[in-house]
Amino acid sequence: MRLAIENVSKTYRGNVQALRNFTLELQPGVLGLLGPNGAGKSTLMRILATVTRSTSGRVFWNNTDISREPDALRSVLGYLPQDFGLYPNLSAIEFLDYLAAVKGLDATSARKRIGELLELVNLTEAARRPLGGYSGGMRQRVGIAQALLNDPKLLIVDEPTAGLDPEERVRFRNLLSELSGERIVILSTHIVSDVEAVATDIALIAQGQLVAHGAPEKSLAEVSGKVWQVIVPSAELPALRQKHLVSSTAHRTDGVHARVVADTAPMPGARALEPSLEDAYLAALAAHRNGPAVEAAQ
Amino acid sequence: MSALHIIYAIARADFLERVRRYSYLITLLFAVCLGYGAGTGGLSLRLGDYRGLYTSAWIGAMVALITTTFVSLVGFYIVKNVVDRDRQTGVGQILAGTPLTKVSYLLGKFLSNFAVLLSMVVVLAFAAVAMQFFTAEDRTFHAGALLLPFLFLALPAMALTAAMAVFFETFRFLRGGFGNVVWFFLWTFGIAMPGLMSRPELDPSGLWIVYQSMVPAARAGIPGYVDSFSFGAGDKAAQVAPGFHWNGVDWTSGLVLTRLAWIAAAFALVLLGALFFDRFDPARSRGQFRAKPKQVTGTPELEAKPASVAVGARTAAPIHLTPLAEHDAAPAFARIFMAELRLAVKGYRWWWYAVAAGLLIAQFASPLEVSRGPLLAVAWIWPIFIWSALGTREARFGTQQLLYSCASILPRQFSAAWLAGVAVTALLGSGAAVRLALAGQAGGVQAWAAGALFVPSLALALGVWSGTSRFFEGLYTALWYVGPMNHVPGLDYTGAASGAQVGRISLTYLVVTAILVTAAFFGRFRQLRHA
Repeated sequence: MRLAIENVSKTYRGNVQALRNFTLELQPGVLGLLGPNGAGKSTLMRILATVTRSTSGRVFWNNTDISREPDALRSVLGYLPQDFGLYPNLSAIEFLDYLAAVKGLDATSARKRIGELLELVNLTEAARRPLGGYSGGMRQRVGIAQALLNDPKLLIVDEPTAGLDPEERVRFRNLLSELSGERIVILSTHIVSDVEAVATDIALIAQGQLVAHGAPEKSLAEVSGKVWQVIVPSAELPALRQKHLVSSTAHRTDGVHARVVADTAPMPGARALEPSLEDAYLAALAAHRNGPAVEAAQ
Repeated sequence: MSALHIIYAIARADFLERVRRYSYLITLLFAVCLGYGAGTGGLSLRLGDYRGLYTSAWIGAMVALITTTFVSLVGFYIVKNVVDRDRQTGVGQILAGTPLTKVSYLLGKFLSNFAVLLSMVVVLAFAAVAMQFFTAEDRTFHAGALLLPFLFLALPAMALTAAMAVFFETFRFLRGGFGNVVWFFLWTFGIAMPGLMSRPELDPSGLWIVYQSMVPAARAGIPGYVDSFSFGAGDKAAQVAPGFHWNGVDWTSGLVLTRLAWIAAAFALVLLGALFFDRFDPARSRGQFRAKPKQVTGTPELEAKPASVAVGARTAAPIHLTPLAEHDAAPAFARIFMAELRLAVKGYRWWWYAVAAGLLIAQFASPLEVSRGPLLAVAWIWPIFIWSALGTREARFGTQQLLYSCASILPRQFSAAWLAGVAVTALLGSGAAVRLALAGQAGGVQAWAAGALFVPSLALALGVWSGTSRFFEGLYTALWYVGPMNHVPGLDYTGAASGAQVGRISLTYLVVTAILVTAAFFGRFRQLRHA
């Protein structure tokens, strides 16, 4: 099982370049795709889901070019777009049954699968009510369920935890971990903690380019020994931000406890901290903004 | 910020949003086509077998009437989505949280509608000037005679159309497809009734004002003239009446005031609409033929438990999904078809199904001519909103990405959706078909079958290519009115008015159906490739 993205670029009308020569190869596991707003994550997701065609470059699913034979991928694809709608007059069961039919599931398998999925996303109680009355989180859970209908080999989820409450978010993370064994899961999000919890691989994308790619340990190693805690008065925080990359702050009685990413101790008394994925993400983005794109580790 | 400034800001933003869409070019193209139709004689005024010389007065009146009639009919469908767009995009929710008043909002939207229609009027006014230049039947150009009909006839009619569109969007029963159908009949009534009642001042189109002005000159200049006055499509054979001299409508102050009153009426209509406008409150924005989905806020099971217990128990629950075997994913067209059929007919109120059942039973119980005539005609307008959803449902409800990422979507789901539309049409008219078959009228059955295939195919093609249900709803209502209801041969797709020509006409409909289906498939194929 292999998904290969080779030099994919996408230019929208008005010469807006969303992706530039994006190259990446994926094996089974969970890829956390991180990047700021407008980085090109959703464009990449749509190209991989065969909804949008790339302007140049190719995507191969098990050596089949999906722009030539999209059905080779579609038959094993589960896709949760960032923005999607539901038919308001259908119930969750009816909507899932409709998509199961479109995806080619037979009635018996579909019925069983839908029951399990509704249980999984905790919608069994509301399953027979019209979708038009669902809350945002419930709609998102229907979206998650539909993506899993056909037991996909490639699961692409774009901002899947948007609108979910903390409990459902944890549950969804667990689900992704469980599912990742024999399939490729691509999780696109800005929520670093979601990636931190489940990703076996991380790709960082900015301005349509691949900035970094590798295991989470590798990203963490990049900032190992470079994360510090400093305590400064509130008035000095702006100056600290000007000079250093501050990944988080917390106001305490003795001043502001700031988490700083820097090659050397930013000030006397700075205490070294264990790096988090968020530190690594911010450091990689800052490095990208300040210089040419880092060569992706293959 | 003053209220006027707010209204201007709303109108400006909405107008810019519209004119930057490709559909606006199509709107202008429609105006150009009307101008071309007038210039080539495809659309014209005639006085019996005659027409006037193409003077400034004649051309101005004729093109202005084209504007007030055709543009007001079609323009309504073009502009009737300003409020709905804010509802769909979510901008309405943002506006609802501001101090913006309902009146300011609706006036801004009305002005935007008016500006769009005005741009079409400007195109037609230029076309009128060009027409006099190119036809060169009368080289004397009278700006007042040519342009005043646009000012006094077209502008009030456009204001009223713009206001009607806003009003329909604020009244919840008129917001959707039902309103689109109602508009056609209201427009027809608005054109015809003032003449029948001899009250030209009640005519927003100004048709009767031109009639009253032109007929005396025709009586004086055309021997044997008997007050015949018609306006419409196709009269290339009309001859120029040599003795007919008409200098245009005499715009007296009374007449001008009558026309200005329509603009005042337009403003009044917008203000009236503010009373019904829900200001994007979802709790007030349901209704029509569709059943109301009940609001679901959460699962009672979870809400009953303390949060900490629920979190621990549910996040730790084992996750089990039965893997699908390879054979479980075998394409089954019948299942997709049934799913599409259910999607098509689901969600209407009980009385909708009751009327549909009543129409079906009545077709079986009535005499054959009634069954295949008025009953079949009504049965084939009743599911108009099922048809108008064909090809547009995915965009309307935002399910394109979910569907377009599925395998073989075009041959399977798209075909199933079309077939579901055919099935609904056939089922609603099946009583008449059975009666025709039992009576041994093979030609009638053939015509019925052609109609049953034609209607959903028209809906699908228009839906896919226009991206909206409004064009089908408007066009189909007009076609239904002139065809099955008024038995215009060739346009009656039920076959009831075809007589001896039934075989040829039904064959024509089958060919048109094949073209429409091909166009629809090509359109969806294009959407899939260029998503």
